[in-house]
Amino acid sequence: MNSNKLNIWFLSSLLVSLLVIIPIITVSISFFEETSRYFEILKSTFLFEYILNSLLLLIGVLILTFILGVGASYLVSFYEFLGVNFFKWALILSFAIPPYIYAYSLFAFFDNYGTAFTILKTLFGEGEFNQHIPKFDGMFGLILSISFSLYAYVYILGRSSFLYQSQNLIELGKNLGFSKFKSFFFIILPASRPAIVAGLSLVAMETLAEFGAVDFFSVNTLTTGIYNAWITFDDLAFANRISFFLLLFIFILFLTEKLSRKKAKYHLDSRGGFKQKEKIKLSGINSFFAFLFCFLLFFFSFLFPLSQMVYWTIKFPENFFDVNVMNLLLNTLYLVTLSSIVLIFFALLSNYGNRVSKNKTLNFLSTLSISGYAIPGVILAVAFITFIAWFDNNIIKSLGFLSIKKIFIGSILGLIIVYFIRFYSLAFNGIKSGYEKINFSVDESAYLLGYSKRKTFFNIHIPYLRNSLLFVIILISLEIIRELPITLVLRPFNFETFATTAYISASEDMLEAAAVPSLFLILIAAFFITISSKYILKDNNE
Amino acid sequence: MSKNFLEIKNVDFIVSGQTKVKNVSFSIQNEGDIICLLGPSGIGKTTILRTIAGLEKIVNGSITINNKLMSSKNKHVEPEDRNISLAFQENSLFPHYNVEKNILIGTEKKSKKKKKINPKEIISFLNLKKILNKYPHEISAGEAQRASLARSLVSNPDLLLLDEPLSNVDQSFKEEIQVELKQLLSKSKITTIIVTHDSYEAFYLGSKCGIILNKQLKQFDDPYNVYHFPNSIEVVNFLNRGILIPAKVTSENSLENKDLGTIQGNFVKHYPNGADVKLLLQPEDLEHDDKSNLKLEVVDRKFRGTNFIYTLKTESNLQIPVFVHSHHIHQHEIDEKFGIKRPIHIDHIVCF
Repeated sequence: MNSNKLNIWFLSSLLVSLLVIIPIITVSISFFEETSRYFEILKSTFLFEYILNSLLLLIGVLILTFILGVGASYLVSFYEFLGVNFFKWALILSFAIPPYIYAYSLFAFFDNYGTAFTILKTLFGEGEFNQHIPKFDGMFGLILSISFSLYAYVYILGRSSFLYQSQNLIELGKNLGFSKFKSFFFIILPASRPAIVAGLSLVAMETLAEFGAVDFFSVNTLTTGIYNAWITFDDLAFANRISFFLLLFIFILFLTEKLSRKKAKYHLDSRGGFKQKEKIKLSGINSFFAFLFCFLLFFFSFLFPLSQMVYWTIKFPENFFDVNVMNLLLNTLYLVTLSSIVLIFFALLSNYGNRVSKNKTLNFLSTLSISGYAIPGVILAVAFITFIAWFDNNIIKSLGFLSIKKIFIGSILGLIIVYFIRFYSLAFNGIKSGYEKINFSVDESAYLLGYSKRKTFFNIHIPYLRNSLLFVIILISLEIIRELPITLVLRPFNFETFATTAYISASEDMLEAAAVPSLFLILIAAFFITISSKYILKDNNE
Repeated sequence: MSKNFLEIKNVDFIVSGQTKVKNVSFSIQNEGDIICLLGPSGIGKTTILRTIAGLEKIVNGSITINNKLMSSKNKHVEPEDRNISLAFQENSLFPHYNVEKNILIGTEKKSKKKKKINPKEIISFLNLKKILNKYPHEISAGEAQRASLARSLVSNPDLLLLDEPLSNVDQSFKEEIQVELKQLLSKSKITTIIVTHDSYEAFYLGSKCGIILNKQLKQFDDPYNVYHFPNSIEVVNFLNRGILIPAKVTSENSLENKDLGTIQGNFVKHYPNGADVKLLLQPEDLEHDDKSNLKLEVVDRKFRGTNFIYTLKTESNLQIPVFVHSHHIHQHEIDEKFGIKRPIHIDHIVCF
């Protein structure tokens, strides 16, 4: 209906998809351009190492997050044991700890004369403890840091899939005389495969995009390669070339996930005869082990880094006064507010446009515009700078205008644009899932009751989407608070967030000073996770 | 100027670029009339309603309501400006309002009609009192359908369109609603088009019935005529209330079938003597007679409460349905013989 009258939807979707395509095109074009000799040197040496390390890291993180995420979600979904309701919620708190903060904690705890040493010294007096304390640095520490921070993706998606697994399927297992072990491996796990694979793909993308922790442990991966090529060697073209490899990597991952899933629908809706299953009550040793697994996971993923940061903040109170907490908070809030407004405005416009126009091109543009989430922040930042520099040199200056670089690079505007590209899918999909719950005939009923399109949007859609919008704002806030590479590369001079302050202190070997911003970051993120946990852990289809 | 309340002339009903029903013309003469559209699933009945409501556009023909052109190739009055109400088959209740608010929102619509409809009356006859405070996701499909119907009714539209309005309603409750719905529509003078695949519902509610088959409106007539005088073999097959048997015309008021012998009656259409025809034989056309010498084998018996429908096999393997009152003195088991009264007389003989 009325597709010819709705050009505004088309134009806004076109604008968003163009924004997202820019970094992909920039990276692709740069790949085939000449670069400095540095590339020749690297081609035979470091590039291979970058790819190998990225692969190793990916495999290690995927294995560990699979074990932690699936294990926790299985226990919490199928069994009743001490503290299960607490763990159900507490296990998502690990989202509040970005991998780089986990890395600081892990390193600091096991470092020579670190926290572990202090504890042992307090307990047993002076001694040569350092040689007995294991060291978690390099690749191993990195895998641990990323896994404990990201396993919750697998946990959340696995849990929601387990929760909706048809009772019949599980009863079928019992009926066939399968043991719990056999039921798990032959029925439950295969039936939840799409959800678990989806969770693991998110982990994979975040791992490949991770910058802070990788940089801290000085592991050379494609991400740090991009950053170093740009910062250390000032070679944007080479940074873009490595980006191309990384994008290729992600594209293959993306394709694998899509192909593995195909069109299969693995679990049936709980409505229509499928009742939600009752949990099995565990007792004795089984209950203890289930509790222990969840507790240790909660402890290592959240309490451990939190305590380390609290400990340092108390131990070195002077750092507290060096950090202008209020300023960092206001900066963060400023970015969150601006980004949320822009993201929600365009995501609403695009979703509504798709709904009323039913235009296939518009639908394609929308799908394209959400692919930004797969592009690592560091690539987006570098590609954005490359594009602006090219546009400035070739278009703006040739037309005789003043340089526009300063408007976009090292400015809030540039930062918001790149955040927009990176997080648009969060806003778009969040609103889309809200819209999907409103039958299209609801809109048509409204029209037939005399509502105009505008009135339908404001009186029917917006009130119903209120919760989705709130959830989207929380997700955006959570991402922006934790975001590091984009902010680091594109922020205006002297404009800091909790994340950049923590990173700068850590990279200057002042880990203790990183504690205060890290602690605030964790607390704010944990607050957002707590208020949105109802949506993240939704127990029903409503 | 046309005197008809609704006039549809040569319209192709199209959805997503696909023509569902071609070249449709029909009219509703008086305000307050109820017509029913019957047809198999997916044939385009809903598309017709959506187009009349203004949710789909047309590229040829015209739709006029109360002498006002609503749709044509060059004109399209937006749905919100038509004062037409459509009760969708699926749940179209506003998800963030409870049932009561959903129904009362219908009253906000400005209606030019003088006769007002009392929402309480509607809520009561549709048995919605108990669920007024519930939200759409908390009620069953049947309840949602009734609430949606209530909302459409209270909006007091010029034209009410009902898409399978009772398809999810319990059988026990359905007939009661049908009776009250018919009374209410007639009392409130709400012109209504009902889409259904239930011929009994259509025959009861509609003063006219339209049969849609193979992308065409095959017949548009009184329910009695549609049932007893179907105008094509397709309509006979769709209604499935009789079979076609081969026969030869023997005179101006008789024909002959190899198994049943002479059949007398009045031809609806003239056929020459000796013509080979297909005779429509409906369950009530044959009479049971235990003493008759025309005995056929019982192959099936369906108990329908008020009656039995026997399926009888003739020598040439025709399977003929016969209606018998359920209080008939004795019942015939499968494989038994069943007598048919001779000579067979059918009031109106329909042949093809």
